[in-house]
Amino acid sequence: MKQLVTSLYNQAGTSYKKRVQGIGTYGILLAFIVICVALALSTPRFLTVSNLTIIVTQVSINALLAFGVTFVIITGGIDLSLGSLVAVTGVVAAMFAHPDTFPLIVPLVFALGAGLLMGGFNGLVITKSKVPPFIVTLGTMTIGRGLALILSKGRPISNLSDSFNFIGGGKILGIPFPIIILLIVFVACSLLLRKTIWGRYMYAVGGNEQAARASGIPVEKIKMLVYMLSGTLAGLAGLVLTARITTGQPNAGQGFELDAIAAAIIGGTSTSGGSGSMTGTLIGALLIGVISNGLDLLNVTSYYQQVVMGVIIIGAVILDGLNRKAA
Amino acid sequence: MNRLSAFSFFLLSTFFLTNCNQSGSDTASGDKPVIGVTMLSMQNEFIVNVSDEIDKKAEEAGVELITVDAERSALKQIEQVESFIAQGVDAIIMNPCEVEASSPAVAKALAAGIPIINVNSATATKPSAFVGSDDVESARIAMKYIAEKLGGKGNVIMIHGYMGQAAQIQREQGAREILKNYPDLKLLASQTGEWDRAKAMSLMENWIQSYGSQINAVFAHNDEMGMGAMKALTDAGLKDKILVVSIDAIPDALQAVQKGTLDATVYQNAKQQGSQAIETALKILNKQPYEQEVLIPFQLVTKQNVAEFVK
Repeated sequence: MKQLVTSLYNQAGTSYKKRVQGIGTYGILLAFIVICVALALSTPRFLTVSNLTIIVTQVSINALLAFGVTFVIITGGIDLSLGSLVAVTGVVAAMFAHPDTFPLIVPLVFALGAGLLMGGFNGLVITKSKVPPFIVTLGTMTIGRGLALILSKGRPISNLSDSFNFIGGGKILGIPFPIIILLIVFVACSLLLRKTIWGRYMYAVGGNEQAARASGIPVEKIKMLVYMLSGTLAGLAGLVLTARITTGQPNAGQGFELDAIAAAIIGGTSTSGGSGSMTGTLIGALLIGVISNGLDLLNVTSYYQQVVMGVIIIGAVILDGLNRKAA
Repeated sequence: MNRLSAFSFFLLSTFFLTNCNQSGSDTASGDKPVIGVTMLSMQNEFIVNVSDEIDKKAEEAGVELITVDAERSALKQIEQVESFIAQGVDAIIMNPCEVEASSPAVAKALAAGIPIINVNSATATKPSAFVGSDDVESARIAMKYIAEKLGGKGNVIMIHGYMGQAAQIQREQGAREILKNYPDLKLLASQTGEWDRAKAMSLMENWIQSYGSQINAVFAHNDEMGMGAMKALTDAGLKDKILVVSIDAIPDALQAVQKGTLDATVYQNAKQQGSQAIETALKILNKQPYEQEVLIPFQLVTKQNVAEFVK
C-alpha cells in the first residue's frame, strides 16, 4: 500500500519532484530578480530597507490567500470565494474587536472559525454534490459577500481596539507583525506540503484522482482539508486587513481571489493540478507586490499601470516556461 | 446528474438572491401610491444612507416602496426599471449607475408615462426631476481649502476614485479648476485608489517612499481613501506635516476630523437627497408644482464646525 502511494506520488508529482530539487522555481526567481534590478536602477528609492519592508507588508495579505489557494489548485480545484471570505471574516472580527468589550482572543477565534466554516462548506458541497469547485466557490463568493453586508448592515465597522489593530500595524523588533505572520504561515504551509503524507496525497489527488482513489487515498478528506485550509487562511488575511485599515469593511477584498490565484500560477502552480510549491507562490506574490510598488514609485499613471502589470505577468510566466524547457 | 445539479444550484441561488434583493411587496396594488427605487449600490455607505432616508420618508408619507440594488450595473438597472414599468408603479426614483448607460431607463419610464426622479447622480437623458449635488463643486471646496491652508504654495497629491466614473471625473475636474488658479500649487502625483481604503493606504505608503516630506497635502476623492492615506501618513510619523482632505463626511471621517487626524472633509447631505427625492416624487404624483432640479449644497467640515455633523 505504501509502495503504491509512493509510486503514484512519483508518477503524479514528477514536476513536484523537480520543484523540490529547485529547478522549476529558478525561472520565476530569475524574472523576479531581473525586475528588482531594473527597478533598483530606475529609482534610488526602491532598494531601501523601509521600502522593502513596506512591500512585504503590503504583500502579506495576498500571500496568505495565495498559500491557501495553492493547496486547492494542487488538488485540481479552485477557490473563487477568497475575497468574500476576507470581507466576512474581517467584519466578524471587527464586530468583536471594539475596545473594552471582548478579550482579543474572541475576534481572532471567531474570524478564523468563520473562515474555517465557510471553507468547510465549500469542501462539503464540492465533495458531496460533485458540482465543479468553480461553480460552488462562485456561489459562496456571492453568499459570503451577502453575509458580510448582512452582518455589517452595509456599513464599515470602526473603532477597534489598539491590541487588535496591532495585528495589522504593530511591530516586533522593528518588523511589522503581518510580515511575522507571513513567515510563520509560509514555513507551516511548506512543511505541510512537503514533509507530511497529507501534502503528498494532495499532489496525488491533483495528479490523477482516479488512481489516487484506487490506491486508497482518502480523496474526499483531502479535498475537505484543502478548502478548510484555504478558508482559514482567508480568515487570517481578513484579520490582517481589518487590523491594517482599522475597520471591518463589507466590500473589502473584491478581486483578491484573482490576485491570489495569479500569485500561485506565476509561482509555477499548474492549473491542471498535481504540481506547485509554496516557495514559488511566495515569489509570485512578491513579484506582483514589487511591480505595483515600483510603478507607484516611478509614478506611472494608473491607465498604464494595468497594462504594464499584465505584460510583466505574462512575460514572467513565459520566461519561467522557457527556463524549465531548457532545464 | 453532475450538470443537472449544477444547473439547479445555479437556479436556486439566483432565485434566492433576487428575492433577497427586493424589500417590500411584489405587486403594485391597493390605493397607496407605489414608488420603485433602484439604487446604484447598497454596498456603499453613502448610498445606503440615502436609501434609508427614502425608506423613512416613504413610511411617514404612507408610500409603498419597492427598493432594488443595481449592484453598479447599468444593464441591471435598466432591467429593473423595465420591471417597475411592467408592475405599473406610480413613480420611479433612480440613483443612476452611469451617465450614458443608465439613460435608456429614463427614456423608457418617460415613454411609459411614469415620472422618474434621478437622485444623487445624473443621466444624459433628462428625467422628470433631478435631486442631488454637483460633484465638481465638492472638489472645488476641498481643493480650495488646501490652497488656502498652504498659502497657495506647495505640492499636492491626488488619489482618484474609480477611473472613468462620473464622480471621479467630476471631482478631478473641480480639483484641477482650482489648481489652475494657484500656479505655485503643484500636483506632484496622482493615481487611482479605486475608492478603497486599503488600496489608498498602500498607494500612500509607496508615495511616502518616493516623495517623503516633499508632499504638503493629499486630496482624496472620497473619505475611505482619505482615511487610508491618513493611516499611512500616521504610521510614517508624517501626519502632522501633511494636510489630508477628502469628500463625503462618512462617520469615520467625521470622527477623524474631530480628533484632528483628518484635516477636512466635504459633507454631502445624504438625508436631504433622500427626503427631497421622495418629496419631489409625491409633488409630481399629487400634481403640485415642483422644481426640476433640486441642488443640495455641500459644506466644508473642519475641526471648527464638525460638532454640527456628528450625530
